Amino acid sequence: MASNVLTKSDYIKTSLRAYFIQNGFNYGNYQGLGYANMLYPALRKMYKDDDDALQAALQENLDFYNTNIHFVPFITSLHLVMLENGTPNSEIRNIKMALMGPLAGIGDSLSQFVLAPLLGTIGASLAYEGLMMGPIIYLLGMNIVLLLVKLMSGMLGYNLGTSIIGTLTSQIEKISRVASMIGVTVIAGLAVSFVKITTPIQYVASVPGGGEQVVSLQSMIDAIAPNLLPCLFVGLVFYLIKVKKWTTVKLVCMTILLGILLSVLHLVA
Amino acid sequence: MQITMFQAVLIALWTGVCLAGMLLGIYTNRCLVMATGVGLILGDPVTGLAMGAVGELAFMGYGVSQGGSIPPNHMGPGIVGAIMAITAGVSVETALALSIPFAVGFQFVLTATYTFATTLTGAATRALEKKNFRMFRLAANLTVWVFFIVGCLIGLAAALSASGLEAVINLIPAWLSTGLTVAGKMLPAVGFAMILNVMAKKELIPFVLLGYVLVSYLGLGTMAVAITATAVALIVFFNQNKGGVAAEDEEVVFEDGI
Repeated sequence: MASNVLTKSDYIKTSLRAYFIQNGFNYGNYQGLGYANMLYPALRKMYKDDDDALQAALQENLDFYNTNIHFVPFITSLHLVMLENGTPNSEIRNIKMALMGPLAGIGDSLSQFVLAPLLGTIGASLAYEGLMMGPIIYLLGMNIVLLLVKLMSGMLGYNLGTSIIGTLTSQIEKISRVASMIGVTVIAGLAVSFVKITTPIQYVASVPGGGEQVVSLQSMIDAIAPNLLPCLFVGLVFYLIKVKKWTTVKLVCMTILLGILLSVLHLVA
Repeated sequence: MQITMFQAVLIALWTGVCLAGMLLGIYTNRCLVMATGVGLILGDPVTGLAMGAVGELAFMGYGVSQGGSIPPNHMGPGIVGAIMAITAGVSVETALALSIPFAVGFQFVLTATYTFATTLTGAATRALEKKNFRMFRLAANLTVWVFFIVGCLIGLAAALSASGLEAVINLIPAWLSTGLTVAGKMLPAVGFAMILNVMAKKELIPFVLLGYVLVSYLGLGTMAVAITATAVALIVFFNQNKGGVAAEDEEVVFEDGI
């Protein structure tokens, strides 16, 4: 068994190869092929001239795998540390498989449900004002943060070993909690300003003293609460998702048909 | 407006790169990025940005796969929607509504693409059995190239059918066009509701209200809202920690007492 062949730069290189883990994505083993490919240069270095050992090591890692692509360096670093320490393959596999689910959960909620909506709403609102900074902030922001996540999780796996997963989870939960508070605030604010529903309904009220006055329903609604109609509609869609479990396509079709209907009936402009 | 052959090729390559970025996880496959690129290629970055913003917000929740249902793809508004808004001159809200069928269709194309890629990547396993490591590494990167090519084809088809799309759009009667604009303005509600559905827990309700008040009553911009929210979130966070430490201290004292 090879040992202490890999240097720190091999770990960094493997961590950066997380970008390629989905390059071979397929319905057979999902990221399994990509996982083996991610480890390839490091394994090649460990089993320098031994093609049989390299083949065996790669074949062992072709199993089904599916985790978060930004946190996977943590797993590959641990994997390589254990390989170098001569940990039995069955044990490595157990740890690799055990980490797959939790890291997918943490990583997906942090990248998809917290970071992307937060930077996406900020970027989109800048872009709406015609500022090129919008998409640039979005793209750079996402990629810088996710690159740091890859490098840091890779280094964490290299430095700290298997005991750290509990601490990592609680740290990320804290960050994620603060970030989702900010995210929800921004999204709630943007929801009511980007969803535009106003009614052109007017009626003529007779004023005491014989005169007549045109009263617009919209100005009455605004007096009660600004953006009330968008709020109610977002609330309705939220209810349909949460309680009625409507699918996206169904919701989109309902919205388009409702919009056309309300427009034709001159209830909404 | 006519799209030149050169512009069509650029749109094709851009769509390919953006779609391949989905597998690389670099967030180029989002409406905001794709539509901005189309806007720059067609010489109308302002419309591209507006289309990207409206589409991004409407589709924000759609990156999230919900219980096996297939979410509409960002290429709908990001590529086709942007082309329609720029060449046919319709409002970005109308373009958003009109691009929905494409968004749904593209997602089926992608599912088929994954299936097709699965037949190719089997070559990696076979190469490994023969210890052909060069072939193994090549096959391990096939899916991303297939996605690049499929993206190019979608982009090229969208760019070349722009005049056809324009003709169809011109056939739309005024009442329907107005209706689609109204619908387009309502559509972001679906995206917002979906993302709130995955993010919002009961304890976050105060922040929903905070966001509403900051924007609707105070008229603050997004950055101001984000900074205010950060301030409040940090206050909550630090106070929670204090509460936790105090509770632990009390517990220790209690145990000492026993």
